Amino acid sequence: MAQAIVVSEPLERPAKSNARGRRVVDRLATGLLWAAALFVVFLLAMFVVYMFYLGAGSISWHFLTGLPTELTAGGGVGPEIFNSFYILFLTLLMTVPIALAAGIFLQEYSQTGLFRQTVQFSAESLATVPSIVMGLFGLLVFVQTLRWGFSALAGAITLTLLNLPALMRVTQEALAGVPATYREASMALGGTKWQTIVRAVLPSAVGPMTTGIVLISGRIFGETAALIYTAGTSVAHGNGAYDFNPFHTAETLAVHLWYTHSEALIPDVDRIGNGSALVLLVMVLIFNVAARVVGRQLTVRLTGKS
Amino acid sequence: MAIAAQTDKPTLLDKMKIEDMNVYYGAFQAIKHGSLDVPENKVMALIGPSGCGKSTFLRALNRMHDLTPGARVTGKITLDGQDIYAEDVDPVTVRHRIGMVFQRPNPFPKSIFENVVYGPKIHGENNAKKLQEICERSLRSAALWDEVKDRLNRSALDLSGGQQQRLCIARVLAVEPEVILMDEPASALDPIATSKIEDLIGELKRDYTVVIVTHSMQQAARISDFTTFFLLGELIEVGTTSEIFTRPKDKRTEDYITGRYG
Repeated sequence: MAQAIVVSEPLERPAKSNARGRRVVDRLATGLLWAAALFVVFLLAMFVVYMFYLGAGSISWHFLTGLPTELTAGGGVGPEIFNSFYILFLTLLMTVPIALAAGIFLQEYSQTGLFRQTVQFSAESLATVPSIVMGLFGLLVFVQTLRWGFSALAGAITLTLLNLPALMRVTQEALAGVPATYREASMALGGTKWQTIVRAVLPSAVGPMTTGIVLISGRIFGETAALIYTAGTSVAHGNGAYDFNPFHTAETLAVHLWYTHSEALIPDVDRIGNGSALVLLVMVLIFNVAARVVGRQLTVRLTGKS
Repeated sequence: MAIAAQTDKPTLLDKMKIEDMNVYYGAFQAIKHGSLDVPENKVMALIGPSGCGKSTFLRALNRMHDLTPGARVTGKITLDGQDIYAEDVDPVTVRHRIGMVFQRPNPFPKSIFENVVYGPKIHGENNAKKLQEICERSLRSAALWDEVKDRLNRSALDLSGGQQQRLCIARVLAVEPEVILMDEPASALDPIATSKIEDLIGELKRDYTVVIVTHSMQQAARISDFTTFFLLGELIEVGTTSEIFTRPKDKRTEDYITGRYG
């Protein structure tokens, strides 16, 4: 709370020079903040321009759709692009429902208690596990113990474990941000708790949750360490570029980028690497923008708020 | 020590009866042994200084305290003779029969139409034509139809505060409750919007039993048939509104009416 203003103390009229000094500081602060903000935009712009400069030459229809090569030049990244999307899809398919349910439970059903604390502590701990450790866990459990081998599913479950805590948190915060008056109004109209959550609370939480899903999607696109030992570093053979079998090995674009630069024997490493990086970047940007547009439209559709 | 408001006609039916109600927030007792009869098709005003427990009392009448962690209600509260806090009574059913209008207009961030039919929908009405009928009837009853009939699909958040509050009343009417509880419904509104709400309350009592909390004694005097005076969690006096304002029996009521309390 603000302190009470002491009226009895005579107000000192600030000297003119002091006023000017304060104005200078004010301008300076404004300028610095602008500069910092512009610097962020500048960094991104530089980065994008540089990536285009390096990678644009590699992009061709053949590169985007063709199969990768192990030893010769001229390989493509078609299966890797497909696998990136496929693993993202599988991961979201598991992450979103579980995170949604857990977030709703924590925010709406369990206000206090040991169980809630346990769930929250587990989630926070899970969130701090390095992705390479999660990758090794996936290797031990899914790839070896369950004998799935390097597979899209092993990769997707590992990524689910990695991203579940963040999305659960986002769900919780999104629900917490919904005004209590909506809940009260719905309950007072004779709604059950479940009806209230589904009809009055969730529509208002869709916007922030979409943003959360976009953010973890970006992470899933770019994730490498957790996938090297789970989804593998090669693409499925004998099924063409697009293999929907979740038990087949599925190298993603990000893994391919790492792989070409560290392990591959191909002579055109830089060309493939730069091209892959550019494609990865553009994919993430497009996805980001598209998802935000969808999120905003959904919010307007569901809540009439713009 | 039920203070019955039966000074009017002997034919008066009591819609709700409250016997020895206590409300606790944790260890704090907010309502102490409150007993009150709420007559059918009348407007009952609850008045008293801030923090006297009138809103707490009101929220116990449709089991809203069930939603507040740490709140506890004891005593017997009946609606048409049925104990609404009985083991086998579903609070959802209670709130279906006893509607509530809140202090601040709280429309959902949905269209005007969706706001009105929210209640009927959650109670299973899916027929589009039926919903439209309910929407029009409710908005007409809430004296809002003419102002919004051409923009039912626009967001309810675009309405003015007074319109939003009438929309909230329409939303309550749409579920056809028997009792409507109002928690200072006009306190966030300007005088013109307030007088519209007051006129509306006068209309509503033909079909509904209304219990209204108000901090404005003038408002209580204008719109209510009966008035209950609260002080520090206790029901001090109940009577017809004219009695309470002209011949209060209790010294404390008189002091409050004449402006000797906050």
